[in-house]
This record gives sequence, structure tokens and C-alpha cells, in this order.
Amino acid sequence: MRTYHRKLVTAVLLIAFCVVFGLSLSAGQYDLGFMQVVGWCFHQLGLSFLQDMDISAQQEAVLMFIRAPRTVVGLMVGAGLAASGTVLQGLFSNPLADPGIIGVSSGATMGAVLAICIGINSTSMIGLPIFAFTGAIIAVSLTIGLATRNGRIPVLTLLLAGVVVGMLFSAVTAAVLTIMDDHKVQQYLFWTIGSLDYRRWEHVLMGIVPISLGIMIMLFMARHLNILALGEAEAKAVGMPVAKYRLILLIVAALTTASSVCISGSIGFVGLIIPHMMRMLVGPNHKHLLPASILAGAVFLVLCDSIGRILLTNREINVGIMTAVLGTPYFLYLLRKNTGIK
Amino acid sequence: MNTILKVNDITTGYENNKILQKVSFSVKKGEFVGIIGRNGAGKSTLLKALRGFLPLRQGSIILFDKDIKDYQQREMAAQIAYLQQQIELTFDYTAKDMVMAGRYPYINWWEQQGDDDLKIIEACMEYTGVSDLADTPIRSMSGGQRQRVLLAKVLAQQTPVLFLDEPAAGLDLFYQEEIFRFCQEMCRRGKTVIMVVHELNLAARYCSRVILLHNGSVFADAEPEKVLTDGLLSEAYGVDICSMKNPQTGHADIFTVPVQADVRKRQLLDTIVGAERMGES
Repeated sequence: MRTYHRKLVTAVLLIAFCVVFGLSLSAGQYDLGFMQVVGWCFHQLGLSFLQDMDISAQQEAVLMFIRAPRTVVGLMVGAGLAASGTVLQGLFSNPLADPGIIGVSSGATMGAVLAICIGINSTSMIGLPIFAFTGAIIAVSLTIGLATRNGRIPVLTLLLAGVVVGMLFSAVTAAVLTIMDDHKVQQYLFWTIGSLDYRRWEHVLMGIVPISLGIMIMLFMARHLNILALGEAEAKAVGMPVAKYRLILLIVAALTTASSVCISGSIGFVGLIIPHMMRMLVGPNHKHLLPASILAGAVFLVLCDSIGRILLTNREINVGIMTAVLGTPYFLYLLRKNTGIK
Repeated sequence: MNTILKVNDITTGYENNKILQKVSFSVKKGEFVGIIGRNGAGKSTLLKALRGFLPLRQGSIILFDKDIKDYQQREMAAQIAYLQQQIELTFDYTAKDMVMAGRYPYINWWEQQGDDDLKIIEACMEYTGVSDLADTPIRSMSGGQRQRVLLAKVLAQQTPVLFLDEPAAGLDLFYQEEIFRFCQEMCRRGKTVIMVVHELNLAARYCSRVILLHNGSVFADAEPEKVLTDGLLSEAYGVDICSMKNPQTGHADIFTVPVQADVRKRQLLDTIVGAERMGES
């Protein structure tokens, strides 16, 4: 009979986390050795290992102001997207749900396209993220508002409302796109693919509070999510006020996704495949699944970003492209392997 | 014995479809009540209504001297545990995770499960014989194992009243009897069980009382030997039924009496078996 390998998976993820962190700091066009980076990290932590790894002021500047914030943004966004994806899949009792399903992505995209259209992204670094965040929140509120009936939020209605709101916002996005010039359309395209390029500590500051707060609330609510994921009838039978918890978790997941998407652009796949993969490995109990997904989401996104920087010598590949290219084959492998057992 | 559940003249159903009309009865502590009746008689609907999952158009349901409308959700779940007829699980929880859900009514929203909860779920799993399956995902279990895990979950709710909707459906003979035996033992220890039953022979042997539903109303309500009679069953089920006392068990054994197939049925059967093609007539 099948069992889940929780301890093994956690250990592997923790090791992978450290390795990927070092890899992301050392990978890129400006040459830095892996051991140099490790030495620098220890030094920053006030430890005196590997002191002989000399590092120039220029190298330190690259690490401090380009690679470190980029890596931290990647970890945050990966963790946030994977956590939200896990929660939404549990909430809908549907392994195919992802943050796009309640309109977050299309709302954020519309916000971003408006920001690009009026040119606010070239005058202020936080202009676009604020627009994207606002767009996402409006879309999600609309979805939840449409789906709520007599204090209930039926899953099917919510899914349909999400689809409809997504279409509406996509239409607005398309309308704005038709009146934009080529240069701006290019910027928009870049945003939709999702990228960690040129991310600064300001981006970290913008996202760290809402994302970590969201993740903490989700972790705390894992026990309730387990009950919700059994389906409405079962949840009611054990006395859960279903609509209340659905609403709380929806809002938390939406805010976390919106905070992630607004600093990285829309990165697909992480919110869908990471929870799915982890569920196959550690099982659906959210007490184990959520931490594993959070860790795996962070590792996966930063790994994809690092590989995207290493692969081509003269330019980088956007992380959004890498997540899809790397995620799909592994996902299919897991899916086939799993159905093979049954 | 004291009355714990009182159903006063309830009428309920789905949307425009009245399933139950003017149903009244009361249940005392320690009773093992079997609800029987043909498909569509309103058995599951009755259980759902009693649990408060269906709005009543008329009448009231009083549980422990309090209208069920006045119960908080968690408070209700600490009084009645409800095993649904079918549970569609999207995710492959382990048996332990599943049984732990039964502790939900007892844990405040800010708390996590404690050692006490763990002890209770272990006891429930041992009682229904699924301790070895604690870490096994539900979907890789057989129907019997799965049903016993769900029963453990319902027991973990530690409620004085249990509602079970066809808990023995799809199980083989041994597990069917086992579930009835569990319920009988628990009722002797003071729990009250209301169960939707299809297996009339088992109802005859284990239930202390049987309610026969017919066309959305209570058709008969008494001890098994008084309800499971040829006349009442034949009328409620719409077929000739013969009930005999089994000399071995001392309880009623129920059979349907085969009806002579009419001409039309025989013609239809000719078509189905392909009599013409096979050269018969």
C-alpha cells in the first residue's frame, strides 16, 4: 500500500533550498564562484568560515544590490504563489484550481496594462505594482461578490464567476492594448511572462509584509483547510461554518497572490503544479502539504530563474518561461508515475 | 427512558418537490432505529432534515429540549454525528487525517489538535479495526476498510446521537453484520443510533425499532417484528413480500415472492435475449 514520505521530502527540500540560494547568488553574466558566494553569506551572518574567499567591492555590490534582492524576491514570490495555489485547490476541492481561477491574474494584468498605458511605470518603481495589486483585488472582490448567495459561496458558482470576471478583465486589457504603441505593448508582454529582472530591495520591502503575513495565516488555518477540502457536506457535518472559512481563506489567498504577482509579473504554473507535486509526495494533509509547497515553490522559482540566467551566454530567459518549460515534463512524469501505481 | 429527539409534524423537501409530509415521531435514549422504505420514500431526506441540512416548511425538530434551529453549528456537531451515504473525496487523505476530522467540533478555531484528540481517534480506529491503516491513503483501501474508517470518524465525534445513512451499502456480508453489531453494542451503552437501512433481515435482527416510510409519510413505527410483516411491507414496497420467523435466529427473514411475468414482459424478454435471431420463437 502507498504511504507518503514526509521526512525525506522535507530534508531534500531544505538541502535544495540552501543549494539554490547559493546558485542564484552566483549565477549570471558577472562572474562569481559558488564558494565565494557561500563565504560571503557566512560573512554576512557574522560567521568566520571561508574567510580567505576574497571578494572585491564590485563583486560585493553585485551580490548586495542585484543578486540578493532578486533571489529574495524569487523566494517570496515562489512561496506565496505555491501557498495560495495550495489553499485554493483545497478550498475548491479541485486539484486543477490555481490563483488564476478567481480572477487574480486577469485583474492584475489589467492593472498592469493600465499602468503601462498611462506611463506610470517609467516614472515610479512602485506605480505598476500598485496598479496590478489594485486590479487583482477589484477582480477578486467582483468574483466573490457575484458568487455569494444568501450567505453561501457555492464552489461551482464561484468557479463560473471567476471565469466570467476573468473574461471581462481580459477584454478590458485587450481594448487598452489596441490603443497602445508597440514599445508599450512590448513592456506589457514582458510583464505577462513574469520576470525577476532588476528587482531591488524596494520590491522586497513591498512584498515581504503581505506575503509573509498571508503565508502565516494560511499555515495557521491548515487544520480548517483540511476540513473544507473534504467537501461542503462533510465540513458541515462536523460543524464548520463553511461560508465564513471559505471567505477568509479566499481573501488571504487572493491578497497573497496579488502581492506576489504585482512584484514579479504574472508567473504561471507555480501555483498549479507545486501544490499538485507536493500532494503526491507528502499527501493532502495541509499541515504537511502547505509547508512543503511553500518551500518547494520558493526553491522551484529561484531554480528556474537561475537556470534562465545560466543557459544562454548573452541573454537571460524569463523565469515565467522557465517555470513552464521545466515544470511541465516533471509534472507529467509524476502524473504518469502516480496513475501507474493505481 | 427519556426522549432525546422529537419530530413534530415536519414537511420538507427540495425546491418545489415535497418529499416528506407531516412526519412525526420521537426517539428515546439508547434506541437503535432503522428507517426503511423503498427507493425514493424519503429516508435520506428525513435524516438530512433531522440534522438540520434541509429547511423545514412546517413543523419543528426538538433535540434535547431545544429546537435544532437554535443550535450553533459546532454545538450541533457535538450532539449528532452524521455519516453520509456517499463521500466523494477529491484528495487522498490518510485514515488518520480522516478520523481526525471528527474532532473538529471540540477544538476552538485558534487551537490545534492535542494529545487527547489523538488518544480518542486511536481508540475509535482500534474499535472499528483500522489501526493498521492509520497512515494508508483512503483511496487505496477496499470498500469495507473505507467504511470502517468513516465509521471511526463518526465515532470520534463522541456524540450521544449517530445518524448513519446506509453505512452497510456495498459491503460484503461480514462487514454488513459487523456495522450493525457495533451499533447495537453502542446503543446498549447509551448512544442512540438512527440508521437508514436497506437490508431488512439485518434490521429485523439488530434494530430495536423500525420506522417504515411510504410516500413521504410514516407508514408504520414499532418494534421490528410488528413492522416487518407481510402486509405492511408488501404495501409499502409494492411487491409481494413474505416474512417468516427464522427458527435459528428467532428473527424475521424477509423474501420477495416472485410474480408471474405478464405477456408483455415475456415479449420484451424475447427481444432482449434475441430469441428470433437464435431461431427460437
